[in-house]
Formats: sequence, C-alpha cells, structure tokens
Amino acid sequence: MTMLKELAAELISMFAAEKWLTIAVLAIVAAAGSVVDVAGLNPLVGGAVLLFGCLILLVESVCRSARKGAS
Amino acid sequence: MAWSTAVPAVSAAFLASLVEVVEAFTIVLAVATLRGWRPAVLGTAAGLAVLAGIVLILGPVLDRVPITTLQLAIGILLLLFGMGWLRKASLRAAGVIPLHDEDAIFAAEAAELSEHAHRQRQNLQWVAGITTLKAVLLEGLEVVFIVIAVGAGRGLLVPASLGALAACAVVLVAGAIVHRPLSRVPENTLKFGVGVMLSSFGVFWTGEGLGIAWPGEDLALLLFAALFLGAGMIGSTLARRLAVEFA
Repeated sequence: MTMLKELAAELISMFAAEKWLTIAVLAIVAAAGSVVDVAGLNPLVGGAVLLFGCLILLVESVCRSARKGAS
Repeated sequence: MAWSTAVPAVSAAFLASLVEVVEAFTIVLAVATLRGWRPAVLGTAAGLAVLAGIVLILGPVLDRVPITTLQLAIGILLLLFGMGWLRKASLRAAGVIPLHDEDAIFAAEAAELSEHAHRQRQNLQWVAGITTLKAVLLEGLEVVFIVIAVGAGRGLLVPASLGALAACAVVLVAGAIVHRPLSRVPENTLKFGVGVMLSSFGVFWTGEGLGIAWPGEDLALLLFAALFLGAGMIGSTLARRLAVEFA
C-alpha cells in the first residue's frame, strides 16, 4: 500500500512538481487553443502564444524559485 | 520516417533514460553490495516485469486514440514534464539547489538498509528486494513515459524504445566495469539537454494537437530547442544573480 502511494506521488510529481508552473502551462495551452478555436485567428498566432508563453514562463519560474530560495 | 524527428526522439529517449537508469542502478548497486546480488536481481526483474506489463496495457490503448487528441495530451504532459526538468536543471546550474549526488544517494540507501538490519533481522532479503523493485519501478515509469511521449506522436515507439534500451546497456556495461556508483555522469548537463528536448517536443505536439501547422514542419523542433536552451541559460544566469541578491 505504501508503495502504491509512493508510485502515485511519483506520477503526480512527474507532471506537477511545482503547482504554479503546472497551472501557468495549462493556462498558456488554453490561451493558445482559444486563439485558434474561439477567436479564429491565424493558427500561427496561437503557436506564437504557446511558444513564447512557455519560454517566458520558464524564465519567470526559475527566477521565482531563486527569489524564494528554491524548492 | 523523417530524420529531423527521429534523431531528436531517439536522442531524448536515450539521454533521459541514461539519467533515470543511473539513478536506479545506484540503488540496485547499494542493495547488491549490502545484501547480495540475489535480492537485487530479483527486485530488478520484478520491477522490469511490472513496467513491461504497463507498456503492454498502454500500447494497444494508445492505438485507439485519435492522433490529434494523442498529440495534444502527450504534448501537454511533455511540456509539464520537460519544463519541470529544465527549471530544476537551471536552478542546479545556478547553484540555487544542490546537484544530484549519486555517491550521497548510495551512502544514504546503504545506511537505511543497515539501519533496517539492526532493527529487524528477519525478512532482510525481502526488504532488499522491495527496495530495488521500487527503485526500478519509480525510475522506469519516467523512462516509459518519455519513450511513449516522444515516440507515440509520430509512430516512433520502436526507435525511442531502442534508444532507452541502449541507455540501459551503456549503464550496465559502465557499471560492470567500474563496479561503483556512476558519479561522474554529468547528470545536470544531461537533464538540461533532455529538458530542452522534451519541452521542444511538448510545444511541437501541443501545437499540432491544436491544429497549428508549424513552418518548416519537423525542422521547427530545432528552433524550439535553441529557444528553450537560450531561455534555460538566461533563467540560470538571472537565478544566480537573484540568489546572491536575496541571500
């Protein structure tokens, strides 16, 4: 039972080690999807939102952890 | 099969598996050194059997999922996984969090088993076997996910699996030669590189799943990799400065 719990924790931590980063990535994907499907803009605009959103997010997440003393 | 997709997929599977197999191997070696090779090998075999079962169950299920849904789901998971690795690798490179130390892990695992030996004389072989099973299963799960993630989107499961198997072979041969934890593997550099690759695949698959036709098709992966590498390095430089500032 303990091992199953550890397995579940490992699985969750694989994709959601930092809650803020996980939520922000999902928000960027949703925003890119909205640009393509809801706003009906050129799909490449959605692609730019996705790519540059993730790049900015990465830098911000690293700096945020450095400010907090990291986790 | 386009080489511009196959080479990054196989390289990502190989390098990521190399990191995970080294971690599992360290624990297997600690158990084998303290409790003998029998429980270590049995635990490893049991862990590999469970992993094989997971792959055998997941494989046919994946074939039934529409390709765009699969690309979107796997792309998002790759983004979460890859950016998580890249974030940690950037923080390690900046010295904000300590580097992964295989010698320390070996010592900690050995100490835990010795402590267990003092407390409980019976069932030690069982505990040793379970320890290796757990290590192989936990690290192997990440390998399985990476192989499925970089391979399933474009029918590259077999090449990606071969990349992972090659990593296992390299670690086993290196381990057999040096017969001690593989502490000289430049783990953070590998994790940095793998984080870059997985994040690039993540953006690529997620975009394709959303109906975005990337200019240059598969070659866009190279641009994404260059941008993620640059972002990781910028993040690391900024983090180093911030860590000093906030210390």
